[in-house]
Amino acid sequence: MASAELRIIRRRIASVSATRKITRAMELIAASRIVKAQQRVLQSRPYVSRLIEVISNVGRDSGGSGHLLSEVRDVSTVGMVIISSDRGLAGAYNANLIRMAERAIGHHTLEGRDTRLFVIGKKAQGYLRFRGYRIDQSFNGMTDQPNYGHARAVANLVIESYVSEEVDAVEVFYTDYRSVLHQVPTRVELLPVHPPAQESEEEAGSVSYSYEPSPEEILSRILPRYIEAATFGFLLESSASEHASRQRAMKAATDNAAELTKVLTRVANQARQAEITTEISEIVGGAEALMASDR
Amino acid sequence: MARPFSVDVVSPEGTLWSGDAQFLVARTTEGEIGILAGHEPLMAALAAGAVLIDHDDDQRTTIAVHGGFMQVVENRVTLLTDRAKITAGDRDEAIEEARRLAESESPGF
Repeated sequence: MASAELRIIRRRIASVSATRKITRAMELIAASRIVKAQQRVLQSRPYVSRLIEVISNVGRDSGGSGHLLSEVRDVSTVGMVIISSDRGLAGAYNANLIRMAERAIGHHTLEGRDTRLFVIGKKAQGYLRFRGYRIDQSFNGMTDQPNYGHARAVANLVIESYVSEEVDAVEVFYTDYRSVLHQVPTRVELLPVHPPAQESEEEAGSVSYSYEPSPEEILSRILPRYIEAATFGFLLESSASEHASRQRAMKAATDNAAELTKVLTRVANQARQAEITTEISEIVGGAEALMASDR
Repeated sequence: MARPFSVDVVSPEGTLWSGDAQFLVARTTEGEIGILAGHEPLMAALAAGAVLIDHDDDQRTTIAVHGGFMQVVENRVTLLTDRAKITAGDRDEAIEEARRLAESESPGF
């Protein structure tokens, strides 16, 4: 008959190894998702870089006339797009990003600027709502596998509130994916659109395009596309970062569970041995008592 | 044989088609336009419709495009489309497909 102590330890071992199986599975899933997410980040890059090329060309030929989306205003209200994840179990992924965003909100408030929050992902929504921030718009179900439609929905909202002068600038908080081991919470200014830096001045300056329709018209069509594409890029980067963070967190959890199982097994062995020793000494003690009474 | 020029069809989801072509037809907001090698630098807004690319002597690829931009510079044509799909078959099918792309664009997502 196993003692109570031994039974409790055995039960814990069973529970820890069951947890280990789960975290291991999540680790493997995240690892396979990283590869896919990484590919999508790479695939989306040519589009954005070509768009920027076109914008800088068109921007020059339209005589640098300010388009609505690149018009700089006095900032009294800042729109903040915060990209977090829907699910936790990803280490410090959400915590790092939310901390950065919250600090920025505090900074804006201190400077007397109002903020509008557009929050993607349940985690940041939960946190900010609990802290009593007003969330103006929230999006769910985007971050796991973002598609262009998601980006467009966010971009439309952002553009709309900028054009209607509800906000005078838009910042995006996302997690930049540098490598599997390195992801950085990042803040970028999305609106007003800054004219992208001309990379090679003389080369680009030598071409004069003919336009169909006018450069101004093309610019006004292309800038919204640029906002969409940039947003799509942020979503993809964040998604890759989320999967990478989750993989690392789950790997740590799996390792810890393995370690814990090892320790618990030792304790269980000790308890079993102690039980056997007690039993033997009881038998020996009983036998000796019998022999003593026989005499 | 017409001289070739390079074509890239790029969408946010990736590069859709890339290669050398002899002739290309696209539909801009102003009307249809044909591109041969040595075309002058051009920047155009695309309308929804079919893009035809003649390449490798006698092959023709049709791509349904839902808006975007075309840049022609130094014998390089770049089509930036927000949505596009390579369609097998002729241009009527591509136009039909472009219409479907446009209609599947539900406003709410």
